[in-house]
Amino acid sequence: MSQGLLSIARAGVAWALLTAALAVALALPGSTQPLEPPAAPVAPVASTAVSRPLGDPAGPPRSGAELDRVTERLASRMRCPVCQGLSIAASRSISALNMRHEVRELLAAGYSEEQVLDYFEQAYGEFIRLVPKPRGFNLVVWVLPVALLALGGALIARLTRSRSVRSASAADPALADYRERVRKETSD
Amino acid sequence: MNRRVLVVGLLVASPLLAVLAVSFRYDPHFIRSPLLGKEAPNFRLVDIDGGTYELAALRGQPVVINFWATYCPPCIVEHPMLSQAADHYRGQAHFLGVIYQDDENLIRKFVDQRGRWGPSLIDPDGRAAIAYGVYGPPETFFVDRDGKIVDKVIGEVTASHLRATLEPLL
Repeated sequence: MSQGLLSIARAGVAWALLTAALAVALALPGSTQPLEPPAAPVAPVASTAVSRPLGDPAGPPRSGAELDRVTERLASRMRCPVCQGLSIAASRSISALNMRHEVRELLAAGYSEEQVLDYFEQAYGEFIRLVPKPRGFNLVVWVLPVALLALGGALIARLTRSRSVRSASAADPALADYRERVRKETSD
Repeated sequence: MNRRVLVVGLLVASPLLAVLAVSFRYDPHFIRSPLLGKEAPNFRLVDIDGGTYELAALRGQPVVINFWATYCPPCIVEHPMLSQAADHYRGQAHFLGVIYQDDENLIRKFVDQRGRWGPSLIDPDGRAAIAYGVYGPPETFFVDRDGKIVDKVIGEVTASHLRATLEPLL
């Protein structure tokens, strides 16, 4: 409550007096009251603000073709939260459009791709990354396919070798009589 | 040879079966919010009646933030419960509704018919929803008196869950 009053006080003495009176009303039963009088509504877009714990931009502002290119590249690396395995670049959902809009705005302000990704990750978790960071358990995604490929290759090589040994022995005329005897005995 | 095939098969299949068995214990739709235990992103939003609300200004009392929409059945189901809860905790906790991708007029019509349990805040471009990592409505965040997020409920929040979470924060 006190921090709220403090921030309002910065806006000016007149506003402070008005909002302080309203803030006192907030503390009374009857509770969640507007900070500003509904009789004098403020234009929603102008007074709307959402904090973004991002720090300072890592680089200079972007615009034009470079901004388009970087936005597209980053959007294609971010998972749409309401889709099945789609990036926010590929999805046409409102959520994806909103996120793309915010990504573009942050990149235009000069934030790096990693800074923007980190910001979204703070809210959505690593889920937001279509390509997870190669660390910890995530390494399984990189290591397992290679390991399985190597294992499969080794298995195929081994089977091929043993089959060629078998076919070599099948071609041996010295064993022909023995094979014929076995065939007769088993067919009886 | 047969034994060897069996051993190799078991070696390959066992880890996969283990992963599968462990996965059955978890709801695939549940993703733990990284915001839990962290400071709730501050916002200043205007509600459908023109009042402006700032989260940081509500410090000192717990806040229940509910992202909702009229097209969302669980939101409609939990509406009466939230009305009762907002009445019950009046003066002890704040209840804020944030409209999630819905038409302001539909929201106004809905709350005019079914009652208001708190302000219905307009979230232009879904900025608040993004800051809170919302996947879809309803999602409910419990913010303690110091402004930290202590719980997040995806889907309909029940009266018992709300009571159990909110009471210790009062």
